[in-house]
Amino acid sequence: MARDESECADGSRRSVRIGGAGGFWGDRVYAPVELLKHEPLDYIMLDYLAELTLSIMAKQKARDASAGWATDLTDWLRAGGMTELHAQGVKLITDAGGANPEACARAVLEVARDNGWNECKVAMVVGDDIMPRLPVLFELDHPLEHMETGESLAESGEQVIAANAYLGAGPIAAALQDGADIVITGRVADASLLVGCMVHAAGWSENAFELGLTRQDPLTDWAPADVDDPLEVLAQWTVAGHLIECGAQVTGGNSTDWETIPELTDLALPVAEVDADGTVVITRAERGGGRVDRRTVAEQLVYEIGDPAAYITPDVIIDMRQITLEETGPERVTVAGARGEPQPDDLKVSAAVEGGWFASSSLLVSGPNAIERAENCDALLRGRLAENEDLVIQSEFIGAGITLPPGVPRRKEMIGDPPEVLLRWAVRSDDRRQVVRFGREVAPLVLTGPAGVAGYGARPKPRRQLRYWPALIPREMVEPLVRIEVLTVSDLPRSVDRLTLVRQRTQRFIERLQEELEEREWARPLARRLNPEAKEMLEQGHGQEEAHG
Amino acid sequence: MSDTVWIQLSELAHGRSGDKGDAFNIGLVAHRPEWFPLLKEAVTPDLLRGWFAEMVTGSIHVWELPGIGAINCLLNGALDGGGTTSLRLDAQGKAWGQAVLRLRVPVNRSRAAAAGLSLTTATADQWGGPSL
Repeated sequence: MARDESECADGSRRSVRIGGAGGFWGDRVYAPVELLKHEPLDYIMLDYLAELTLSIMAKQKARDASAGWATDLTDWLRAGGMTELHAQGVKLITDAGGANPEACARAVLEVARDNGWNECKVAMVVGDDIMPRLPVLFELDHPLEHMETGESLAESGEQVIAANAYLGAGPIAAALQDGADIVITGRVADASLLVGCMVHAAGWSENAFELGLTRQDPLTDWAPADVDDPLEVLAQWTVAGHLIECGAQVTGGNSTDWETIPELTDLALPVAEVDADGTVVITRAERGGGRVDRRTVAEQLVYEIGDPAAYITPDVIIDMRQITLEETGPERVTVAGARGEPQPDDLKVSAAVEGGWFASSSLLVSGPNAIERAENCDALLRGRLAENEDLVIQSEFIGAGITLPPGVPRRKEMIGDPPEVLLRWAVRSDDRRQVVRFGREVAPLVLTGPAGVAGYGARPKPRRQLRYWPALIPREMVEPLVRIEVLTVSDLPRSVDRLTLVRQRTQRFIERLQEELEEREWARPLARRLNPEAKEMLEQGHGQEEAHG
Repeated sequence: MSDTVWIQLSELAHGRSGDKGDAFNIGLVAHRPEWFPLLKEAVTPDLLRGWFAEMVTGSIHVWELPGIGAINCLLNGALDGGGTTSLRLDAQGKAWGQAVLRLRVPVNRSRAAAAGLSLTTATADQWGGPSL
């Protein structure tokens, strides 16, 4: 591969190389180690948090104060990853902290210690979790209206499981400016993982430090004077982050061309080569298979976007319409033309509330007229569940056209008489007993349903659904409370005492919130009331954690 | 002979889909830059409404990304309440980016031919009626 292109003839400047080593908690665990071993990088970023991952982590943390973060991280760090980071000086940026960045940072420090890297600086970014602040936010007239339904969370009476604001690149860059080798965050916008690296690498954070700016000043103000168009640079960096944040999904994975992608068993991870001026090249690790061309990059560019004229991140609003992709070398695509608008006033909040009870089950139906038999089997089950009026039943006939949209006519002609159909049910109810009843009625179909059914597993168990609740909140309600702490191995014994930590954290939180509110004249009465109330609230919230401490 | 013929979308574009709350998007990229005008004329909110019918309870948008010769379709209220509570197997709409590639879209016969698009599998009917 023509990596030399990224170096100037005199070798004076090399693009910043950032590896995108994972796209969700469940991606290939040890792939980052291979990437580090064989590919020269400056930064490696890993996104572990899908929409609901944090609420699952919040539940884990409630059961175990040391859980609630993406434990895959320390699995690969222990399997040689930490050694590589140390030897090569590659900085790791990840949102693996999830609902518990403190515990994650501690576990990472333990790996550093066990690897004999005592000077390793691990920064944790805390403050995305607005859950403890919800009563105060509601009181300050931020009801967290659902972005799709308009429903007010404050008035909904819903049981909130987690509520996290998407932080931007500022805290990451600041942590790197503080000398961090590893940055552990909770919820941050995916692309901001890369933007944070670049804000630091391009000297913006240093400049901001010299100018005396704070993390609450927009990143455009951090830019050195010789940056012509900071918005455009931020937009380009953000697009680079968007392109590599799903790992191998930009190097051939999940691609329309998948059948023709070479060496999928050893699919290479993507690398973004990014410059201070906003030049972006997407390439891939030299070792392994995969493909980076206009087609794979274009598919990732349009992945999970809305209006391309306004792709909103905490750092910049991007106009993607004039973005161009050019193949400028083997496995190299140069990305240009992203435009930027100033950062939004609000941050997005991803909350989750307790949903209904859910269960699913499936049966394989075979033989002639399998579709019709499956339909009759479905009718039989529905008949047996008829009394359960609050049970919502979704039946799908897999193999009989569930991915043909409903508006397509003459479906039977298109589908024909397939040799088998997988009949799948999913049910939901607020009444757990009705979901249990479903589980009890599925099993008997093996003996009372059509001939030739197979594949019945265990009686399906009801589980709680989580309901996603996206909302907006003004930045100033979140950013003043974001904290960065840089820890080293010597901090480990201190952090063992979780009781003390929790108490300190609680106290510090109350003080800071009070300070915040005291500054607003209209909120002073609330601030005075806050101390006892918040204390009680926090003690309740942390009660379980203390019990485990 | 009608000026409009129907071709399988896979001949014109490649794509990817995913969820955004209770919506999913389908990004479609023309195989060749010169086919982008045909793509954006072919895939309209009306066409998508016809395909997805009662599955979509909200608005349908189709935006253009001319720089890469792509369109982005967003179907609001199409995920049975959203990826986390949907009862569907494909709760996040991940399949639709590929699934729609087998459906047929309208193109102008002479312009398509002039742009170098093969019309050998084109039909006169949206649902694969008589071959030409």
